[in-house]
Amino acid sequence: METTAQTTISRRDPAQVMRLSRLGSLHQCRLSFMRVLTRRMARENWSFARPKFDIDGNGVGVAVYTAAGPARTYSLIAFAHDLPPEMRSDRVIATAWDATFTLFDGVPTDADIERLSKNVPYQEAGRVNEKSLSVSRANRSVRLWAHFADALSQGQQPDPAQVDAVGYLMRTTAVYGSGKLGAADREAIADRPELNAPFQAEMLSVYLTRAFVRDLVEHMARAKGGENAVPLAPETARRLGIGNSTGLGMAPYIVNHPVLFNNWIAAREEAIARVRSVETASAEEAACFRRMLRRSELSAARWHSEHPAQIEKLASLHKDLEALAAWAAADDLLNDHPWDRLIRWSETALGLEGQELAASLILEPYADLVDGLSDCMADANKDAFIIDGAMPVSQVRQLIEASFAWALDLDWAARENCARAWYVSEEKLEPRMGERFDEPIAAYEQPLAPARDAAAAHAALADWDGDEPVAAFLLRHPEHRHTVRRAQMSQVAPYGEIRSNTISDRVLPVDMLRAKLSFFGATHFDPRSDRWVRICMYAGAPYPEDLTAANADLWVYPEADQ
Amino acid sequence: MSYALNEVEATAKRAARGAGYDWGLSEEAAKATRWLCAQGLDGAAVLAGLLEAGYAAELSAHVPQSLDGSWSAQAPLCPLATGAAISDCAAGLQDAPLSLGQVSQPAMILPFAAMAARQLDACVTVECEGFQAVTDGAALHCVGDLPDAAARLTIRAAGSLSNPYPTHTRAEPEEAAWAVLNRFAHKTYAPATEESRLLGAGAGLSDND
Repeated sequence: METTAQTTISRRDPAQVMRLSRLGSLHQCRLSFMRVLTRRMARENWSFARPKFDIDGNGVGVAVYTAAGPARTYSLIAFAHDLPPEMRSDRVIATAWDATFTLFDGVPTDADIERLSKNVPYQEAGRVNEKSLSVSRANRSVRLWAHFADALSQGQQPDPAQVDAVGYLMRTTAVYGSGKLGAADREAIADRPELNAPFQAEMLSVYLTRAFVRDLVEHMARAKGGENAVPLAPETARRLGIGNSTGLGMAPYIVNHPVLFNNWIAAREEAIARVRSVETASAEEAACFRRMLRRSELSAARWHSEHPAQIEKLASLHKDLEALAAWAAADDLLNDHPWDRLIRWSETALGLEGQELAASLILEPYADLVDGLSDCMADANKDAFIIDGAMPVSQVRQLIEASFAWALDLDWAARENCARAWYVSEEKLEPRMGERFDEPIAAYEQPLAPARDAAAAHAALADWDGDEPVAAFLLRHPEHRHTVRRAQMSQVAPYGEIRSNTISDRVLPVDMLRAKLSFFGATHFDPRSDRWVRICMYAGAPYPEDLTAANADLWVYPEADQ
Repeated sequence: MSYALNEVEATAKRAARGAGYDWGLSEEAAKATRWLCAQGLDGAAVLAGLLEAGYAAELSAHVPQSLDGSWSAQAPLCPLATGAAISDCAAGLQDAPLSLGQVSQPAMILPFAAMAARQLDACVTVECEGFQAVTDGAALHCVGDLPDAAARLTIRAAGSLSNPYPTHTRAEPEEAAWAVLNRFAHKTYAPATEESRLLGAGAGLSDND
């Protein structure tokens, strides 16, 4: 972590930040991975091309989009398919899609495309090699796709109300990276500056996918309407994002990567602390905040959900936005630590949605204080895995207490506290969550309840002499080894542990999904159940050919005239 | 077939768990198998050989009975549990070499010797009759062939690594060993039920709109 900036106000306490209800209210910010990518590509003047667009009138074929940075070129290879409606499913267990993709390391030869055409369309049933950095697929939004193709083919622009209601023409249903299906490991590319920040290959893949989707709908409209067809108006194209439908599979990720997740949260918390420590803001900084607040109101107005819990959260957010606007209007935002005052006020006056939006928004005027922290968000600390066996038992107990004091006295045998169990299904090898007392799954439980396991380890450690090295304890109690490892990791990863019960009868896995997706930079979270969420990515972003330093960053906030 | 090292790690973790090891040792098995593959050795075959020995069912019989003096048990030592203890006790290697009694699949000790080397910031040498390996934590060099079981094994904080193996970014495990790992991994998957199909992943609403 950079230590150059002076902070007089410390980072928020992990006990406050890491509650699942708050993690489930996080919003994108300057450190979001999509914005990190578009800023870099603009700064480095990346060039983009479409060397291949070989797609027939039925929408079947292949296209290649290249993105060339200063040192390397990456290519999105897109396979377009003619999918019968009955086969279209966003479930990860689907077997066919409207389009399938791989991000290729370099520029593919015809032989590469031929090889990949026999694998990528089959996704999990295919194999790729280390020249692929990601594998993904997307389905059309049936409603919006048909409307767009019909309207454009008849020379009309699509109805803006319908664009607003859905937000995207296609949504991805999985974007696999880091070794999945044979692709290159993260470790093989992590030392490239342009891919060092987390998920940059995946974010680039989705960015190029958005351009492909726009081109494809225009192509289909031309195929249908011939000379009558018109291209999509740029302002409408710009409003389109790429949807994403994410199920439970992603939730375990933030539990399974405590150091990495810590680095994301810690970077944002450090950014918040730095900005709160600003004594006086300039008029331009205050104006920037007010502009982004205004644009956030527009974004919130376009955020729709039918899920009761999210409807409630959105109502709270709208109310919070009004209160924030009133506060910002009444305050000059210039003096006496204006951002710290705002945050302290928000903690007394706003709900969690509003508090976290405010925390993200105060970062906007301060690129110099914030943006460099994106270099600290990867996990390069491979040795955090190694247990220090010489650590005395008493110190391990203290580390467990630091993260899990709230969990040690919980009655973990009570049904409501362990009602759920995470497991991997035989059928599709995907993580799922079930009812421990109603389904035969406990024997297959995944280690995704760190709080319960910490309580058990803490109880076992109580019987040991505090001066004994923990190595002796672990020799006799290998069942607590994963917990001792996590406890020691917490020394370098204070924000690595979720401070809520991940197996209670009230746990909302969508909170875990949102925490992760907010760092991608996703917006418009639309839970479809307690364990499945749709989001929008890159809505408002410039397309590759329009990307400039001026529009590379704040696109996530809609402008009034858009 | 060529596999990503992350695939090796994920499969090894599930396999060790499926064979009955606790999660913590399954994590160690995963990292250790990956490390062997990164050295160009067939870590999958080593792990498969170990899992087929079935030690996890009665692990306490296959771990050092005491961390004082020479490490041994009545039965052959499990290299996962013993290896993890070697890494846990890395600091002790600075004072004296460590000698182990009979060890099964001694190749699986090497990644843990590497973890010790990283903690000590020094080379660690692993020796048995007809075999010597030196690692600095990142890389490895071996002389001689490792048996499937070693009667005695010595581990010292000593040696130098002048001619390390080139590191590999992909693994090409022997297909039979890979199949063994997948067979064990399969034991960690819950059989699907109608209820889990519907509820487990949280669907239920239309996702074709």
